[in-house]
Amino acid sequence: MNAKRFAILALLLVFCGLSLAQTGTKKKRPLPYEFGRVVLNNYSEKSDLSPVVFEHWIHRSKFTCRVCHVDIGFAMKAGQTGIRAVDNERGYYCGACHNGKMMVDEKRVFAACSRRVNYEDQKRCDRCHSLGKKVPSDFDFFTFSQPLPKERFGNGIDWEKSEEMGLIKPAAYLDGFTSNKRSLAAQKDFYLNPKVEGMPDIIFSHKKHTVWNGCELCHPEIFMGVKKGSSHYTMVDISEGKSCGACHVNVAFPLTDCQRCHSKPVQP
Amino acid sequence: MTVWRTFKWIRVATLLVVAISMGSVCAVGQGAKKSTVDQDGQQVAQRSTSAHEWQKEFDQVCSTTQEAMSFSENELAKFVQRCDALLPQIEKLDETRKKVYLGRLRMCRGLYAYVLESKRNEKK
Repeated sequence: MNAKRFAILALLLVFCGLSLAQTGTKKKRPLPYEFGRVVLNNYSEKSDLSPVVFEHWIHRSKFTCRVCHVDIGFAMKAGQTGIRAVDNERGYYCGACHNGKMMVDEKRVFAACSRRVNYEDQKRCDRCHSLGKKVPSDFDFFTFSQPLPKERFGNGIDWEKSEEMGLIKPAAYLDGFTSNKRSLAAQKDFYLNPKVEGMPDIIFSHKKHTVWNGCELCHPEIFMGVKKGSSHYTMVDISEGKSCGACHVNVAFPLTDCQRCHSKPVQP
Repeated sequence: MTVWRTFKWIRVATLLVVAISMGSVCAVGQGAKKSTVDQDGQQVAQRSTSAHEWQKEFDQVCSTTQEAMSFSENELAKFVQRCDALLPQIEKLDETRKKVYLGRLRMCRGLYAYVLESKRNEKK
């Protein structure tokens, strides 16, 4: 009898526990060296190659966002560009820099895809087609990030400060691709009221954004509203990758770093 | 004998006429061929010039996006038109360049149209 009661009680506890338990899986927070990592697999596995692993941190330290996402033409979402090996071989997309000729920091940038592949080339292919492989890189994240000013989230690097201090010098021009050579006339910064009591206003710095991005990277494809105040942004939308979330979820400092945007002191 | 000689001369003359006419036909043919080659060369040159022209035009139109806010409505409308005129030329390019430049043109045109619309909205 006691055993029966015990079994019923145990079952009740299990049901109660299950009903109270949170559903869904918690998204793993990426480690500093993983933040901004993009895996591309449009054609790789179909061609018996590992998917490409792209690290934003090393590339953003060399070039502004605009050079890659406007001038070279990489889409803002992984897999949307549809890069083929032949595109790289013709000197576009990755092949714009990875052509075996370009020199960066006195190092020759290795060439991307080529039609004829021998055993030596196989190692070169693995440098990008590296998912699930242990491929030695020319750059070690910890050595690279060690002298740079720190931040709490994302890559753990304050990229903006790093540039101000001259520790990184992202190039805004790529020969043969960049049409815009003139510097941008900075637009005014503006405030956005979050309409939540006690929540500091957002100070949107046009200057900070346009120096790295230019205008057409954001307007009109990411921010389409032409009339100020006509578009409404929610944190849910942003966390799903819309508006600010196009960059501030995966690459630029993440949404967990609230005070970086909600930075205007609350008026008493 | 005289008849035979006359006949021989007629034969030689006929052969000469035939040879000359054949030669002239060949010469005309070669000339025509040469002119075709010239025309082809010109066409290739024209094609490459037009190829450079679209690139030049693209660079000119899309190199001023940074200054979009400083342009008047008329200027912006002209930029949009120039972008539209570039579209069919870019669509003729090979797959890679088409993909790259259609994307770039879309962003460039989009910005000019966006600024134009926002300027028109400001006036309302």
